[in-house]
Amino acid sequence: MPRTPRLTLPTAMVLMAVFRNYRYGFDISDATGLPSGTVYPVLRRLEEAGLLRSRWEAHQTARAEQRPPRRYYTITGSGAQAVRDAIDRYPTLERAFAAPSPEPRPA
Amino acid sequence: MTHIVVGHGPPPETGEPGAPPFERPPGGTIVAACAALVPADRRSEWQAEWFGELAYAWSVRRNAGGPSVLARASLVMRALGAVPDAIWFRRHYGGDSMLSQDLRYALRTLVRWPGFTAVVVLTLALGIGANAAIFSVVNAVLLRPLPYANPDRLVFLFGTPTDGDSAKVGANSSYPDFADFRTRSKSFSQLAAVSVIQTTVTGKTFEPAIVPGSPVTANLFPMLGASPMLGRNFLADEDRPGAARVVIVSNDFWRQRLASNPNVVGSSLSVNGTPATIVGVMPARFAFPGTAALWYPAAEPNDPNSRGRHVYAIVGRLAPGVSMLVANREVAGIAKQLETEYPSLNAKRGARVQGMAEAMVGDVRPALLVLLGSVVLVLLIVCVNVASLFLARAAARAREVAVRTALGAGRTRLARQFLTESFVVTAIGSVLAVFVAYWGSRLLVSKAPRSIPRASEIGIDGNVLMFLLGLSVVTAVIFGVLPALQMSRAMPIASLREGGRGMRGGLARRGLRQALVVSEVALAVVLVTGASLLVKSFWKMQRVDPGFVPDRMLVVQIQLPQSRYAGYADGDRVRAFYADLYNRISARPEVQSVAVAMQHPHAGGWTSSFTIDGREPPPAGQEPESSIRPVMPGYFRAVGAKLLRGREIEESDGVGAPGVVVINEAFARLHFPNENPLGRRVLRTSWWKGMPSSFEIVGVVADERFNGPRAPADPATYFSLAQFTFNDNWLLVRTKKDAKPFVPTLRQIVWSMDRDLPLENVSTMDEILGDSIADSRFNTALLSLFAVVALLLAAIGIYGVLAYTVAQRTSEIGIRMALGAQRSSVLRLVVGNGLSLAILGVAIGAAGALVATRALEHLVFGVSTTDPSVFALVAFALTAVAATAAAVPALKASRVDPIVALRSE
Repeated sequence: MPRTPRLTLPTAMVLMAVFRNYRYGFDISDATGLPSGTVYPVLRRLEEAGLLRSRWEAHQTARAEQRPPRRYYTITGSGAQAVRDAIDRYPTLERAFAAPSPEPRPA
Repeated sequence: MTHIVVGHGPPPETGEPGAPPFERPPGGTIVAACAALVPADRRSEWQAEWFGELAYAWSVRRNAGGPSVLARASLVMRALGAVPDAIWFRRHYGGDSMLSQDLRYALRTLVRWPGFTAVVVLTLALGIGANAAIFSVVNAVLLRPLPYANPDRLVFLFGTPTDGDSAKVGANSSYPDFADFRTRSKSFSQLAAVSVIQTTVTGKTFEPAIVPGSPVTANLFPMLGASPMLGRNFLADEDRPGAARVVIVSNDFWRQRLASNPNVVGSSLSVNGTPATIVGVMPARFAFPGTAALWYPAAEPNDPNSRGRHVYAIVGRLAPGVSMLVANREVAGIAKQLETEYPSLNAKRGARVQGMAEAMVGDVRPALLVLLGSVVLVLLIVCVNVASLFLARAAARAREVAVRTALGAGRTRLARQFLTESFVVTAIGSVLAVFVAYWGSRLLVSKAPRSIPRASEIGIDGNVLMFLLGLSVVTAVIFGVLPALQMSRAMPIASLREGGRGMRGGLARRGLRQALVVSEVALAVVLVTGASLLVKSFWKMQRVDPGFVPDRMLVVQIQLPQSRYAGYADGDRVRAFYADLYNRISARPEVQSVAVAMQHPHAGGWTSSFTIDGREPPPAGQEPESSIRPVMPGYFRAVGAKLLRGREIEESDGVGAPGVVVINEAFARLHFPNENPLGRRVLRTSWWKGMPSSFEIVGVVADERFNGPRAPADPATYFSLAQFTFNDNWLLVRTKKDAKPFVPTLRQIVWSMDRDLPLENVSTMDEILGDSIADSRFNTALLSLFAVVALLLAAIGIYGVLAYTVAQRTSEIGIRMALGAQRSSVLRLVVGNGLSLAILGVAIGAAGALVATRALEHLVFGVSTTDPSVFALVAFALTAVAATAAAVPALKASRVDPIVALRSE
């Protein structure tokens, strides 16, 4: 099991965003206000640590919209545990993403 | 429910992500460019993720219908995030990056072929190291600025003959001329005069010594921007007549003779018999003029004849904004004025200005550039050989390459792999080359002739290291690219099918290797030709008859100080001393003969003007000159010079006797071409009391080569030393057996007569002769070394190519022999192959050598740079070497057993 990444504020924000169902890289970037160049390396680390898991969206969906498929990220069990740690550490974090996120499309 | 594709790997049905069928979204180019950074096994997935996001965002924005320029810009901004992301990947999965893969693979390969690696690395280390060593000399002597303040504004002001005939006008100037240049010129912010004179120094703490002493004007050091490490510079008025006598000593002198005494300033020593106070010690790196051990102020002489004594070099600093051209025009004008004002002494005496650096290294520049050129040729040959080795190995690795290509390795990937290998061996070679360069330059300095200026500055510095680095990169590229290109053109299927021998075929491949051999032979021909020319010239130089017999002869200069021996005004004490010395040494049983003369037979000395009695005297200032060489009786017998006519200088030619002179052949040829010179009279001004002004020619002697082996002797006049007395003379002692053991006895005899005479540099005549050709010996030895290396490398190159060809053609040869070919015809086939390459190379090389050896024009003596016998010999030698190198593989080919060869098919 790879070691847990240090829970910096950007890491906590990205984790929280995924927890709130922001699943795609650019969406996470929009939700957190972090540039994509910060978001992606954090996603890599979180996935490597087993806190996130990534999947490809169905290719039929993408095809229908005449674009290549996107990759999305979901939270794992240990990811959910890490979210609690993050909230302990950054109490304001929960309120930052209080608004319910859109459902992953197309559900 | 969404269909979800689980796991890593690119999503299905998209093929190359982002490639058609989908158009590339804005910012896609940035992502594609960054993809190169991402390790290959994750690259397509990574790229797909970014393309997916960008394409989605693009479709959303397009559907929203906003201004497309802004949409594009925002996407490009987003795409920039791929840069840190890709870098993150590289950092985290860099262990498997291609560069380190290539590196590890290269190292593994090199270790797997240890012999190959060792040969390549050593060859490169020697080739690159030798280049850097020679470059370190070139760097110090030719490239590095002189160690003075603003050295590019420093110039020499030389005398120069206005009619181009330098016999009477040398580069040096007289003090009065210097003073006139100083007051009349406006081109210089400073003008200083400097000379070097053998100076006798005595002191309480050291043996009396003769050292190079330098009279200088007081402004010299400040002008150069130099100041003493201890004590002070000369004061501005210390070069005026009547000033207190002061002296500044060199660092060497201070350490060797004054025991590095830090309180030496203020103490005194005796310079030419006169006490002087030490006011300063110069720092170690200061050497101007080169050998000076001490400096003292040069006072303006109050002798009316001093304008005729040209013993000073004039050094100047150009005034701000003044160009060399302007300065040259001005000094030429002033020289013209002086010519009119002093018609007898300054006739035809022009002046010119030359940059100091250029003037100091002018003589050695061609030799150094030739050496650098040849060592670069050697490096080229090294490159060619290494490239050829790599090609041969590449052929042996054809199967490996084929397999890798078949498994999907791209051409560039393979080419990069081979370049990495060549860079790795070059890197190892270069590290070794630093050591080679270091020892090489040390060796060069220790063996270099004394005439190389600035030798003390030679060493490995940043410039040399940069040169070495550049050289390594160029080398690696030269020999790395060729095999890489070859390799990337390989056709995998054919190679596999042909059982691993697939790459032998292509005519192009064989052509390349043969072209390499031809160029290698051609380069070797150029080098060997150059070296042979120098060897022949050196041989000729050594065979020049010096005009005397140098065997078992000790040579030492005796300087009798004016203060104790008078002389000039009254030469009796000087004459008595030398007569006594002559008798005491002749009386020794070990001694065969003794001679005393103002110049020894290999010293050029100086000339003075004369006229011939009974001939119309030429206009003032245009009288002929002859070398002034007074001798004691018996000189010619003692040194072994051949008397051609008349008699020698005898005991009877003493003070008060009629003046006599013996002339040399050159004198007789020039002034009495069809006459008998005996009985004619040479007239010259009497310089001091009791000296005759008319001298009867009583003998003609064969030329002594006193200007060295390269130059013919000048017309010379051998007066009787008793009638033309000088204080300083050479003592020449020929012993019956080995000369060196007699040195202590010689010292003892001289010191028993005068304990204060310096007698440090007793040399043998052989040493003096050796010194006179030391430059040539040095150049010849180095260039010969390079030539031998080139020859060896060329031989190895030919051998390598033929051995390889034979190995590749074994089965063909087997078939030939099975069909009835004789061993001898196989032998001829292979040797013929090698010879045709060699002959082509020799032809090209000879043409190149015709051009290249022009650079040797000033270095050779008695040989034309297109000497046909040398060219013929070199062509023959190279062909013979090629034939020998070809013989080994040829013999192997002729022993091919057809059965075995065919079975292996």
